[in-house]
Amino acid sequence: MDKKLINEFEMMLGKDRVLSETEELLCYSYDATSKDFMPEVVVFPLNGEEISKIVKLCLKYNNTPIVGRGSGSGFSGGSLPLKGGVVVSFTKMNRILELDEENMFVTVEPGIINADLKSYLSEKGYFYPPDPASYEFSTIGGNVAESSGGPSAVKYGVTKDYVAALEVITGEGEIIYTGSKTVKNVSGYNLTQLFTGSEGTLGLFSKITLKILSKPEANSLILVSFNDINDGFNAAISLLKLRNRPSMLEFMDKSSIESVKSIFKSDIIKITGNFLFIIEADGSKEEVDKSIGEYKYILERFSPVFLFASEKSEDKKAIMDARKAISPSLRKYGDLKINNDIAVPINKIPDMLAFLEETSKKYKIPVINFGHFGDGNIHVNIMLDKNNAEMVEKGGKAKYDVLKKTVELDGSLSGEHGIGLEKKEFMKLKYDEYYISLLENIKKVFDPHNIINPGKIF
Amino acid sequence: MPSENKSYLNCVHCGKCLPVCPSYNIDFNEFLSPRGRVRIVLTDYADSLLLRPGKIMESMSTCLLCGRCEKVCPNDVNITELVANEKIKLEEFGRKRFSSDKLALNILKNKRKVLLKSALKIANIPFFKKLSGRNSPLPEGKSFIGKRDLIFNADTSLEKSQSSPLKHGQVIMQSADEDGKNIFKAGYFSGCVFNGIYSQISIDTVTSLTKNGVEVFVPKMQGCCGLPFISSGDLKSFKELAVNNALAFKGKKLDYIVTSCASCSYSINKLYPKYFNENEENYTEILDFSKKLISIWAFFNELKKHGIEIKKGKLDKETKAVFHIPCHLSNMPDFKPVTAYEKLIGEPGLIADKIAGLKLKPLKYNYCCGNGGMFNVRHYDLSKKITKRKFEEIKEAAPQEILTSCSGCIFSLKDQSGIVKHNEVIPVNHLIGIYARSLRGEK
Repeated sequence: MDKKLINEFEMMLGKDRVLSETEELLCYSYDATSKDFMPEVVVFPLNGEEISKIVKLCLKYNNTPIVGRGSGSGFSGGSLPLKGGVVVSFTKMNRILELDEENMFVTVEPGIINADLKSYLSEKGYFYPPDPASYEFSTIGGNVAESSGGPSAVKYGVTKDYVAALEVITGEGEIIYTGSKTVKNVSGYNLTQLFTGSEGTLGLFSKITLKILSKPEANSLILVSFNDINDGFNAAISLLKLRNRPSMLEFMDKSSIESVKSIFKSDIIKITGNFLFIIEADGSKEEVDKSIGEYKYILERFSPVFLFASEKSEDKKAIMDARKAISPSLRKYGDLKINNDIAVPINKIPDMLAFLEETSKKYKIPVINFGHFGDGNIHVNIMLDKNNAEMVEKGGKAKYDVLKKTVELDGSLSGEHGIGLEKKEFMKLKYDEYYISLLENIKKVFDPHNIINPGKIF
Repeated sequence: MPSENKSYLNCVHCGKCLPVCPSYNIDFNEFLSPRGRVRIVLTDYADSLLLRPGKIMESMSTCLLCGRCEKVCPNDVNITELVANEKIKLEEFGRKRFSSDKLALNILKNKRKVLLKSALKIANIPFFKKLSGRNSPLPEGKSFIGKRDLIFNADTSLEKSQSSPLKHGQVIMQSADEDGKNIFKAGYFSGCVFNGIYSQISIDTVTSLTKNGVEVFVPKMQGCCGLPFISSGDLKSFKELAVNNALAFKGKKLDYIVTSCASCSYSINKLYPKYFNENEENYTEILDFSKKLISIWAFFNELKKHGIEIKKGKLDKETKAVFHIPCHLSNMPDFKPVTAYEKLIGEPGLIADKIAGLKLKPLKYNYCCGNGGMFNVRHYDLSKKITKRKFEEIKEAAPQEILTSCSGCIFSLKDQSGIVKHNEVIPVNHLIGIYARSLRGEK
């Protein structure tokens, strides 16, 4: 990298907002994947104007690549500086700019942590539903870039359902404003939603306006399990058809029940059966009571082996602890995890789970599955021994089979994490050359010199 | 050297440790974050990049060893241990230059404890204060431990017991009082701060114990717990102090040794066993001491479990306070909160419940106070930025008094210059201080 570019950054932002020493750059070379790439400089802008100047400087200096980064907690490599260059850290841009209570929108800077926004809104009686597993540490900017979702998606949808307007800096360093604080908006192409989930490849966000809801007053949980997977499947489908559908419908299949069983200890909760659900109802106190009654009535018709419902916070914690126990329980199967976040149409979940069981047997490697039933999002964890080359190779093959099957079932390669670097090579399973060339051309429109997060997705 | 810790290999760089780290939250720079430090340690061990010791130290030395990252880490990476070991490694590598923390450490280690007080007095002379640009605590009152071992009888007034200290080596432990009831006997480990600087807290701790029927033994040989040394990479001094403390309490037939400083508990409970191996001299003594040491709050919970009714006290007027939970304060593993105050602050809630007139308000996030042992000495400006953030939540609760239970936290929380206006300074006390006050019925 041209030293002059670093000097110009330092003159513009001050030395304390530019990092360029190896030891510092090292701390910006990774995310939650197992890949790493060293950036050449890290800059900390404070607003859109500064980002615009940063992009223009990069164009001036040999089209230096730029990658946006929040908490660097992504699972697909979206914030990795694949081609070196500049990492734009948004962590100092973490303010809430405006709470518009009349229109029910909040405008934030991209570096704010999802949980911080949630807790700010909650105190004022509002609610921002998207809850990726990383919500306590991932940033809203990253959430928008990946269109993240979590358990609440079954009732409330994902990030893209809440992004109303954006301030974006394009690959030419121009600042544009998309969307508006209206629910109805058909003036021109919907660029807001195009940017949402674009994995940081079309531009850098500097302001994000999100739709907010009123906070539900109460919630209650049910933990239920079935021996027969078809009973479980039919029970869950019945719940989804209700007008008051659950606000969470998480499942564990046989493999993850087996995995959690040995490490999870509770006096009140049994991890048992072959198909287990954690179900939440939210709303007013009366609505919750009514929903829980209704859910229990329906579930019991499908002969569950275990059913436990509670509104007490300590019981709810115990139930959620069972869900949280999955991740640590996986470690006994291996030190390398290939984590896939495929999504299939809900009615294809049983087919997919059967296929995963077969795959595990075929390659003789543990494949542990759990996920969000309501949106067909299955976390497929292929567990490997890092130092066993043969096994790692088999793991790669298993991953290929799983993604191929996903496409056959008309599903999505990624439900939550994005394509980034992790699934780039699998895009051709889903899309033909013409489709990919459309994506490439869209990128060219916003980023003609290919400097914004180059080398990702396709 | 401590046993080789390779837990950095477990790090999957998820980022969960970032928002809880006090030093990361100063500037949101990942070079000063747990995940960054783990990556630096890993790279240093793997030798895959040539990292400069000075620059590694810059990242490591801003770690407060608060352990918040470890509590949230889903993969059991022993981050504080990795940081401490890296500091020890660099120290041994040869980084012997004069620095303010070296000076402070030498004073702390010195057997002549009077040095600590003199140094702090000098540091508080306006000229030196201006020169260093920092506020140092001013010693309050005489040192608690003098030239003799102390013993305080259960249920007798503190003043009376203190006037007849035991001669060195003469320790009489009774197993029952005159009525044949069992008396609890506890050792008291004061730590350097509650001995030399805020000695009233030692008096209050002992008062609270004796008034609850506990006999207290205080050996004069004890010294600093060693935490400032390990946090500076000085393993040798840390171990010397550990041995000194363990031997001071050796053979006294004590079931428990109580401390009212959270950082001392952390150092003795968590770190002592890690840095001694079984082939070493005094290993048994160290382990024995470490096992017997218990926080004052855990000790009261033990009394409660034994069916002892904890004495109630009353404040002469209602006091609205907050309790700052020290990073190093942890509950006993089997502790289950029952009362509202226990749910709010954990084990200390038992004592808070016994003080009529004390109204505890919740702190929203319970941020770190910014002290972090030697962090406050090494990086005073950064430390005060963390304290400032702490006061945002304290001011929101608008307490009349700030309570806590760690010597370092008391240091940091008392230093409110540049954070609140001079006439708005909020008094800081140890929770045991206000409990002792309520027991004595003082105004």
